[in-house]
Amino acid sequence: MNNTELDRLLDNWEAPPPPPSIRSGLQARFPQSERPEFSHRVRWVLATAVASVTLVFGMAQSDWRPLEDPLMGSLTHLYEGLAEGIEAWRAPGIVAQIRRSEPKVYVDGQLAPPLKYGPAATIDVQVPGEGVYSFISFRGRASGWTEAGHIHGKIIEFLAGGRQVRIECNNPIVDSDRPVFVRRRP
Amino acid sequence: MRKPPEHLIRDAKRGKEAAILHLFDEHHLPLFRFAWRLTGSVSDAEDIVQDCFLALLRPDCGFDPARSSIRTYLFGAIRNQSLKRLQRREDSITPEPSYHRTPETEVLRIEAADAVASAVDGLPATQREVLLLAHYEQLSLTEIAEITHLEVVAVKSRLQRARATLRETLAAYAPRMERCK
Repeated sequence: MNNTELDRLLDNWEAPPPPPSIRSGLQARFPQSERPEFSHRVRWVLATAVASVTLVFGMAQSDWRPLEDPLMGSLTHLYEGLAEGIEAWRAPGIVAQIRRSEPKVYVDGQLAPPLKYGPAATIDVQVPGEGVYSFISFRGRASGWTEAGHIHGKIIEFLAGGRQVRIECNNPIVDSDRPVFVRRRP
Repeated sequence: MRKPPEHLIRDAKRGKEAAILHLFDEHHLPLFRFAWRLTGSVSDAEDIVQDCFLALLRPDCGFDPARSSIRTYLFGAIRNQSLKRLQRREDSITPEPSYHRTPETEVLRIEAADAVASAVDGLPATQREVLLLAHYEQLSLTEIAEITHLEVVAVKSRLQRARATLRETLAAYAPRMERCK
């Protein structure tokens, strides 16, 4: 058999086309909203600091009495909205970190089905006998979210339907403790 | 203008999904074929290819554009992942059935494909990967040397040995394939 004949024979072994799920699977596994935390966080902190200093300076320069001024109420709302925005902005990064950390779910100490990842940085956990509960790491504007536990290092713990849910990750999720908000999925 | 891969990786790390998909679309076909031929499994090959692209986003990703092209880096990553999977199987391989085109007129070709798959599978691992990269993916000896961490001379010698073995193993099929041309 010469080289050409061997090449022709080898060419009979064709590879199948990749399944369509290969691309969609990659997309599903892509840490969607992960962003570099440091530089953006610094930008937010700087922006907030500049805004606060400006506000204080402005108040000191005038006879403005904030507690009597309705403008203060609006500013407070604005500040709260900003703080909420920062929290909501960080949430997808936290979800991405959880996904990467091979989380294991335990309900009342028993291994439970794996987490499912929903839209808007929500994560669903199947609580046997109680249904599906969603949890997020920030206080959502939508109603129905209840603070029910916390994230501490590699561990996420909260109560769902009176059951103790514990999620163990193989990497730290957050630097400092964060609350967890839970609601039952309809 | 075409963005260099390191820029696409940087963008993907910043959350731009389109950047990783751009790289994926450009490279995944030969990588999938290589992984499939090494593992014999579509689902393993799919996982391995996805893992390798996602690994580009990790902080410890070793891709250095000064040292290798993204193509050879990804082939190397596929090779490592596939070898790991094969080791995990611990010789209890139950490969998926070969991919066949179905028309009956291709019976002989299918038979030959199975024989080739089996003959390639029977090669020592180091010869097999060199043959797959050289014959099926048309990579240069230099690229293969980079992927397999071998000298070019060693790659050449393994390729020659692999082809000699296959020539012997598949000798019976050559005349039959001539008839089916």
